[in-house]
Parts: sequence; C-alpha cells; structure tokens
Amino acid sequence: MPAVALIIATFTSPERISTNPQFFLWLLPLVAAIAVVYKATKVSKIKIAPFLKEAAVLFGSIVIFMVVTAIVLCALAWLIIE
Amino acid sequence: MAQPSKQNHIVLLLTVGLLAWFVPGAGHFILNQKKHAIIIFITIAVTFCIGLYAGSIGVIDPVGAKPWYVAQIMNSPIVAAIGYLTRTGNYPVYGRPNEVGQLYTSIAGLLNLLCIVNAVYMAHLQRTQAIEE
Repeated sequence: MPAVALIIATFTSPERISTNPQFFLWLLPLVAAIAVVYKATKVSKIKIAPFLKEAAVLFGSIVIFMVVTAIVLCALAWLIIE
Repeated sequence: MAQPSKQNHIVLLLTVGLLAWFVPGAGHFILNQKKHAIIIFITIAVTFCIGLYAGSIGVIDPVGAKPWYVAQIMNSPIVAAIGYLTRTGNYPVYGRPNEVGQLYTSIAGLLNLLCIVNAVYMAHLQRTQAIEE
C-alpha cells in the first residue's frame, strides 16, 4: 500500500523542470510517441523489425527538420539583431 | 432491406469509435488488429502518464485551460473524472512543468483522435468489403 500511495503522490505534485538547454530533451519522447502511433495507423500489417525501422526513420526526420528549423530561426534572429 | 443494414453499419462505426475513445487501441482490437491495438495503447498511455508525471494532474484544467482540455479529453473519459477532481484548484501547477504536462497530455489525446478516426475508417472498409463479397 505505501508503494501505491507513493506512486499516486507523484502524480499530484509537479516535477521541477528548469529552463536550460536540457529542457529540449523533453521533445524526444514526444516525437517518438508521434512517430510510433502515426506508423501504427499507416501500416496494414505490423512486423516488428520493419515497423521499428520505419518509426525510427520518421523519428529522425522530424528531429532533423526541427533542428534545421531552429538553426534557420536562430540565424534570422541573429541577422535582425546584428 | 437496405435500411437495417445501413443502420447496423452506423451502429458498428459508432461502437468502434466509442470503444477507441474509452480505451486507446480498443477500436483496432475489435477489428482483429491486435498488434496495432497493443502499440497504440502502450504509446498513448505512456505519453499521457509522462505528462501527468511532469506536471501533475493539475495540468488537466477544465476551467482555466479549456482549449488544452478539449485535446486532453480525446484520451479517454477518465480525463473528465480527473478534470472533476482538479476543477477545485487544489492542484496548482505553473511554468515549465505545466507546459510540458499540457503538451504531453494534449498530444496523447490528439494521437488517440487519429487512432479513433483510423479505427472507424478501417471498420467502414472491412464492412464494405464484406458486403461486396
């Protein structure tokens, strides 16, 4: 029972999340979830290895696109400021 | 004769849609797509739980964050029960934990909406193919 109470208690108070570069790592599990669920709705038959490969490719594509977008926005901001 | 068949078709689609909303992946499960169902259930449940862990149940706020709540309630009707608990304001959450929690729980809800639509479409296709055969 104490273990169950402890687990429930973790959901009643927020975690400490500070504003630092590591904050952006919170993006990765979310992108992984989006890639896996999207692929699960698109593939008619699921075989583990090809499914994981396709989900990994989609995950990588989203992350790379977001990194490129961030770099472009940073460059634009730098150009405007300078 | 065509009318009862059409009614059955609509009832089937509604059942699949409602089941998929009540339990993520259940729509695919009754369509015999068990692997899809397991993957969808685990992924959506884990994403939703990460959101609640990061921001606490206070991120489900039907009073102060209605647009987020609309997306969150797509997860399951359980969200409405959590919303009933938190509407009193006893679980305040601000700043980054609130942002992360709302993002995770809302995106989990929107992913489940995608799965609901997909399950209903698959049910429609299976039924139409069965009638044609």
